[in-house]
Amino acid sequence: MPAIELSSIVKRYGKFTAVDDISLRVQGGDFFGFLGPNGAGKTTTINAIVGLARLSAGSIQIFGHDTVRDWRAARRLIGLAPQEYNFDRYLSIRDILIYQAGYFGLKPKEVGERADMLLDRFGIASKAKQDYMKLSGGMKRRLTLARALIHSPKLLILDEPTAGVDVELRLELWDLLRELNRGGMTIFLTTHYLEEAEVLCRNVGIIRAGKLVALEPTQELLEREGKRLQDVFLELTRS
Amino acid sequence: MIAADSFNGVAMLTLIKREMVRSLKIINQVIWPPIITTVLYVTIFGLALGSRIKSMQGVSYAEFLIPGLIMLQVIDSSYAECSSSVFQGRFMNSIQELLIAPMSAAEMVFGYIFGSVARALLIANLIMALGYFFVHTLPKDWGLYFGAMIAVSMLFSALGIIFGLLAEKFDHLAVLTTFAITPLVFVGGVFTSASQLPPQIRNWELANPMFYTVDAFRHSYTGQSYLPLWLSLSVICGLMLIALGTALRMAYVGYKLRT
Repeated sequence: MPAIELSSIVKRYGKFTAVDDISLRVQGGDFFGFLGPNGAGKTTTINAIVGLARLSAGSIQIFGHDTVRDWRAARRLIGLAPQEYNFDRYLSIRDILIYQAGYFGLKPKEVGERADMLLDRFGIASKAKQDYMKLSGGMKRRLTLARALIHSPKLLILDEPTAGVDVELRLELWDLLRELNRGGMTIFLTTHYLEEAEVLCRNVGIIRAGKLVALEPTQELLEREGKRLQDVFLELTRS
Repeated sequence: MIAADSFNGVAMLTLIKREMVRSLKIINQVIWPPIITTVLYVTIFGLALGSRIKSMQGVSYAEFLIPGLIMLQVIDSSYAECSSSVFQGRFMNSIQELLIAPMSAAEMVFGYIFGSVARALLIANLIMALGYFFVHTLPKDWGLYFGAMIAVSMLFSALGIIFGLLAEKFDHLAVLTTFAITPLVFVGGVFTSASQLPPQIRNWELANPMFYTVDAFRHSYTGQSYLPLWLSLSVICGLMLIALGTALRMAYVGYKLRT
């Protein structure tokens, strides 16, 4: 069963069409890269998947659950790590995870151990009682990932997960994402670092001005074109 | 155990708890100021100047003042809690934590409202205790005390959500407080009885929704009211349902929440 199925989705803001008739399937267990230049419609597509944007046309299914008709079941399966840090400023770092799990219907006693495990795994356990504003950029990025994983989603959506982090942390995050994917989690990733997509993603979709211009296995795309992903990307997205 | 398909009660309780945590984190901003202001009102108007005023509705001026001051703070705190929490969530994007969760618009709206009612109840009961300490007065009808207070708090919490969604900047949140709530509450019977006002002004009071809230709530203390109790309670409940319906509708369509 596909983890994500976008069927002719369209998102318009007035006369501007941000996402224009996109259809794609991401199979369960895939590591999928969704690439495109700034303003191409990547974040709008993500917002439509997670319910932050209402579709103008088309439909989205998450593991067979329609995101409109069966929205509770669909959202329960998704973990989102957004590009911006949007933590609750009144909660401690540990409570950010506990409360997020609560919004997903999980009681604190059910997720306490998992929260501690995630904080430990992401190297921020010693900061558990602190305010998130005291964390460094890299630590905030780890907290974003930990929060996305607190309710054990089957699909992890990452919007520019390594933006603004140093090389060491980027490699660390790559290892972690690979490990999650090996454990069966489907990963949908947007990134500006094309080497990141080249290294991590089994399949890629490239979007330009709201339209999908490529959708195929990363290796096939690279072998067919005989170039690096960066060159293919530039060729497909340059107007 | 994961959220039920029809109702995610854990999410709503989590939001209520979050709102209470928020209030306690900013206790010097939201809990102590109304208490200190009330003590000053009671000391200056109730005890110092009030001794020169003969009884109002059959009780001393200080006893008359206490329920009005409770209502003043319940209204102010309920509106402030929801409007600032919702707007801040939008401003910081932290409200997205709720919007991506399997949580309905109703669970979100009632989570904010009940969290705000809890804060209003805390403030009201602290003032009630102060009233007992300074003026030796307590509610006579506890059912009416809590019922009217909760209904009024829900009304102004729902208004807070509406304005928290409409506002484009923090300054907009103050518009309703500065130009409507504060003046209308002050002339709505907190400090004076409608029966003491000139007849032409008295008629204007009937167009002031705050007058009904203060008049009904004061009945829980004095056992008397200017208007029939059923009329005031009907107005409060009617306005509450309209505000609640509007807040629910705005949350359901995702007004300024979902694009």
